[in-house]
Amino acid sequence: MTRWYRAMLVLAPRRLRHEHGADMEALFAERLAAARAGGAAAAAGVWARAAADLLGARIFSWRAERVPLTVYIDERTTIMVGSDLRYAWRALLRQRGASMLVVLMLALGIAANVTVFSLVNGLFLRPFAFPAPDRLVYINTAAPKWNLDTVGINYPDFVYWTKGQKLFEALTAFDGGSFNLADGDGAVRVRGAVITRDFPTVLGVQPVLGRTFTEEEDRPKGPKAVILSTQLWRDRFGGDRNILGRTIRLDGASHTIVGVMPPEASFPDQVQLWVPKAGDPAQPYQSYGGDAIGRMKPGVTVEQADADLKRANQPVWDTIDKEHAVTPYVRPLHETFVEDYRGAVKAVGGAVALLLVVACANVAAVLLARALARRREMGIRLALGSSRARLLRQLLIENLILSAIGGVCGLAAGRAALAGLIRLIPDQFPRWAHFGIDARVIAFSLLSMMLTVVLFGWAPALHAVSGDLRSAVGATTNGTTGAPRGRRTLRWLVGAEFAVSAVLLVCSLLLVKAFDRVRHTDPGFRADHLLIASVPLSEGTRPKAEQWFAFWKDLEERARQIPGVDAAGVISCAPFDGCHLGNFFQPENPIPRPDGKNPVVLMRMASAGYFQAMGIRLKEGRFLNDGDIAKGVATDDEILSGKVPLAVVVNESFVRTFWGEGATGVGRRIKFNGPKSPWIAVVGVVADVKHYGLERPMRPGVYFPIIVNPLSTMTIALHTRVEPESVTPALRDLLRRIDPEIPLVRPRSMETMIAASTALRAAFSWMLAVFAALAFVLAVGGAYGVATYLVTQRTREIGIRVALGARTADVFRSVVASGLAAVAAGVVAGLAGSVVVATQLGSALVGVSTHDAGVLSVVSLVLVGTALVANGFPARRAARIDPMRSLRTDG
Amino acid sequence: MAAETLKPHLFYILLALADGERHGLAIARDVQSLSSGGVRLWPATLYGSLDDLRSRKWIEELPEHPEDESERKRYYRLTRTGRAALNDEAERLARLARLARTRLGDAR
Repeated sequence: MTRWYRAMLVLAPRRLRHEHGADMEALFAERLAAARAGGAAAAAGVWARAAADLLGARIFSWRAERVPLTVYIDERTTIMVGSDLRYAWRALLRQRGASMLVVLMLALGIAANVTVFSLVNGLFLRPFAFPAPDRLVYINTAAPKWNLDTVGINYPDFVYWTKGQKLFEALTAFDGGSFNLADGDGAVRVRGAVITRDFPTVLGVQPVLGRTFTEEEDRPKGPKAVILSTQLWRDRFGGDRNILGRTIRLDGASHTIVGVMPPEASFPDQVQLWVPKAGDPAQPYQSYGGDAIGRMKPGVTVEQADADLKRANQPVWDTIDKEHAVTPYVRPLHETFVEDYRGAVKAVGGAVALLLVVACANVAAVLLARALARRREMGIRLALGSSRARLLRQLLIENLILSAIGGVCGLAAGRAALAGLIRLIPDQFPRWAHFGIDARVIAFSLLSMMLTVVLFGWAPALHAVSGDLRSAVGATTNGTTGAPRGRRTLRWLVGAEFAVSAVLLVCSLLLVKAFDRVRHTDPGFRADHLLIASVPLSEGTRPKAEQWFAFWKDLEERARQIPGVDAAGVISCAPFDGCHLGNFFQPENPIPRPDGKNPVVLMRMASAGYFQAMGIRLKEGRFLNDGDIAKGVATDDEILSGKVPLAVVVNESFVRTFWGEGATGVGRRIKFNGPKSPWIAVVGVVADVKHYGLERPMRPGVYFPIIVNPLSTMTIALHTRVEPESVTPALRDLLRRIDPEIPLVRPRSMETMIAASTALRAAFSWMLAVFAALAFVLAVGGAYGVATYLVTQRTREIGIRVALGARTADVFRSVVASGLAAVAAGVVAGLAGSVVVATQLGSALVGVSTHDAGVLSVVSLVLVGTALVANGFPARRAARIDPMRSLRTDG
Repeated sequence: MAAETLKPHLFYILLALADGERHGLAIARDVQSLSSGGVRLWPATLYGSLDDLRSRKWIEELPEHPEDESERKRYYRLTRTGRAALNDEAERLARLARLARTRLGDAR
C-alpha cells in the first residue's frame, strides 16, 4: 500500500522528498496501520489527509521561494515606466511593417471573438429587460405518455394553478396569434397575443398610456378591450395621446383601446396588441395551447416552484385527468428561449477561440523572429548594467502596446462585423436579444487582449533575453546561425498553426457538407414554382364553418384561373410554416409498439387540389378528390354516426409506424381516439412531406378532406408556370375582389420558406468556414514568413555549403524539408484532433461521418500543398544564393 | 528573541526533543502523546518542519547514530538557541495563562 504513497510523494517539494522520502513513508505506514481499526472510511481519511499534507508542503514551498526574488528588484520601477513606454513605442515604430502586420493579425483574431462573444452575450448572458428577470419562469405541460414535451396550457388547469400555488407572485397564460385589424382605411394583419389579466404584473411592465385589463374584461362575455404596443400606436395611430376609449375592429369585432404597452412588453416576439383571454374555466374540453410565465416570490428556487405547481395541479389529476397524462413543469425563462442556439454558438465560439490561437501563434512567430534579431541589442543593454527583469519588462510593454492597438481595432471591426451579420440574417435572432456593447463585452475584450499577450508574448520575450547574451554581443553579423532553440520554437509554432487550422478546416468542411446534405434533402414534394400564402377570414363577418368552406372552395377555383397558375390547393397547415396540429388515432390491427405509447399524428385538412399543387408523390391508392369533398361540411354528429363516410390519405411514416415496414395502407382503416368514432377508410398513401424542416424527422401524418373541419385561416398553395412571386399581385387582387377586409398574409415562394428554415444552419456553417479560411490563410502566411526569415538567417551558412560544392537541388531540398517536417507533424496531429472535435458536433453533422475520407484527404492535401509552396519560394531563393556575395554580406 | 509566536506543531516538536535526541518517527509519536492525541503530524509537515527548524539552527542532526537503532534513521537534538526559543515560548505561554487567570478571576 505504501507504494502508492511513494508515488504520491511527487506532490511534495523535491528536496523534502529526497531528504526524507523513506522516513515519510514509514510515518505514513504507521498512520495507516493506526487507522485500520476504523475501517475503510478511516483509511480513506488518512489518504486524504496525507495528500493534503503533501500539497500543503508544495504550496508552502512556492510561497517561501518567491520571497528572495523581491530582493533583486532594485530599480526605481515607477519612474522607469514612462521611459519604458517611450522606448517601446520607438522600437515598434522602427519596424513599422512588422508592427502593423502584428496589429492586423491581432485585430482579426480579436474581432472574430468580439463578434461571437457579442452574440453569446446578447442571447445567453444578458438578462431580459424586466425587473428581477431571474424570478421569471417558463411554464408549460408535458405528456410523456403521448410523446409530447410541450402540450400547451389548458385554461381550466391554469385556473387551478393560480388558485393552488403558494410560491408565485403571479402567473399568466398567453397565446400568440394574429388578428385582422380594420379601422376605416383598410385591413392589416398584425401579430398579437391573447393574455390573462396578470401578464403585465408577471413581466413587471407598466402601460405607458392608459391601464391594463380589468378583472371584468378578463371574464367570459366581458367588455371587449385591447391594449396596443408602442410600435402599433405610433405607426398606425400616429402616437395620438387621445386614443384611449376609441374602438378598432379586430377580426370583425369592435374592441375598445384601454392602454399602450412599452416596447419591452412585446414578448417573446413582435407582439403588436393584446386582448384578454376572457376564458371560462367551467367550460369542459378546452384545448391545450400557448405558454405560461410565472413570477416566483423572492428566494424561491425553480425546483421549489416546480414542486409547488405540481402540487397545485393535484385537483386536476383528481378530477379531469385521472390518467396523469399531462404534467405541468417550470423552467428558467431564459433557458427556454435560447435552447436552439446553444449548439451553434458553442461550435462557433470554439472556432473563433482557435482562430485567435492561430493569430497569436503567428504574432509570436513574427515577434520571435524580431526578438532573435534583437538579441545583440539585448546583450549590449545587459552589458551596460540593465537587468534581465528590466529587459523583460520592456518587451512586455511593447507587447501590451501591440495588443492594445490590436484590441481596439478588433473591437471596432468586431462590432461592424456583428452589425453586418445581423443585417444578413435578421429573422434568425429573437427580438428580445440586444447585441449592444455592455460591461461584459468590454471585459471580454480586455480579457482577450491580455490572453493574447500571454499567448504570443512568452516565446519572443524568453528567447530575446535568455541564454548567453554575451556571445550575442560578440557575434558581429546577423548572418550566423545562432539560437537554434529559437528556430525550433519558430517551426514548432508553425506546426501548431497548421494543427489548429486542420481541426478548423475539417470541422467546417464537415459542416458545409452537412449543410449541403440538408439542403438537398428531398422535402417530399416539388418545391420550385410554388407560391404559399395564408388567408385569414374574419370570424366576425363569417361566423360559420359552412361560410368558410364555401370561401375556400371559391378561392381555390378562382385562383386556378389566374394567368400563369397551373394548380391551386388549400391546406390547414403548410410545411415549413411552424404550425402543428396533433391528434391521436386508433389504426386497425396495428403492430405492437415497443414503448407502448400512442404516437402523435400530424392532422391536416386539405382540399382536393392541394396534392397536385404541391406535387406530392403518390405511393399507393389515390389522392383525395372532389368526391371526398363534395358532401359539404360534416358536423361532428354526422361524422361520429358514419352518415358522412370519410376517406383519408396517410403518409408513409403513418403506414410504417402503425402497420410496419413494407405494409400496404390502402384498404386499411383508422379511427379517432374516442369510443364513438367510426372507422375511416385509407384511400391513399403519399410520400412524407418534411413538415417540420429538412433536418427534422417526420411524424406520422394524415390528410383529411377539408369538410371535416374547415378553419377560418388556411394556407393557399399555387403551382405556377412563371416566377412564383410574380403571381402575388394577381392573388391579392383576387382576394380584394372577393372581400376587401381580408388581407393576404406573408405570400412567399416555397423556396424562400425552405431557405429560411435552414438559414440558421447556413449562417453558422458559413461563419465556421470563414473562420477556418482565415486561420488557414494566417497559417500559410506564418509558414511563409518563418521560412523566409530562416533562409535569411542562414544565408551565410548556405553560401558556405554552395561554395563547398552543394548542388542547387540539395539546398532546395534541405530548406523545404526542414520547413515541411513541422507542418507534416502539425497536420497529422490536427487531423487526429479534428476527429475528436468533430464528434462534439454530434447531430449537427446529420450523419456525415466525423472521419469523412474525402474531407480529411482534401484538408491534408491542401495544407501540405500550400506549405510546400510557402516553403518553396524561400527555398528557391536560398538555392540561388551566390556564395561569393553571401559570404561578403554584412561581413 | 522569539518575537513571533511559535506555531503549535513547532512548539511540540521542540518539546519532544527537550529531554533527549530522537528520530523523526519517535518525534511524531511523542508529539501525539504529549498533546494527548490532539496534534498529529503528517509526514510532509513533520519533515518540512524539521528542515525548517534545522535551518533556524534550533535543532541539529546527530553526526552518528546511537548503536542500538537501525542504520538509516536520522537523529535530532535541540541546540542551545533551540532550547532558548522553547524557553521563551514557554514563558510567553505562562504569562498568557497567568493573564487569563487574573482576568477570569476578575470577571467572576
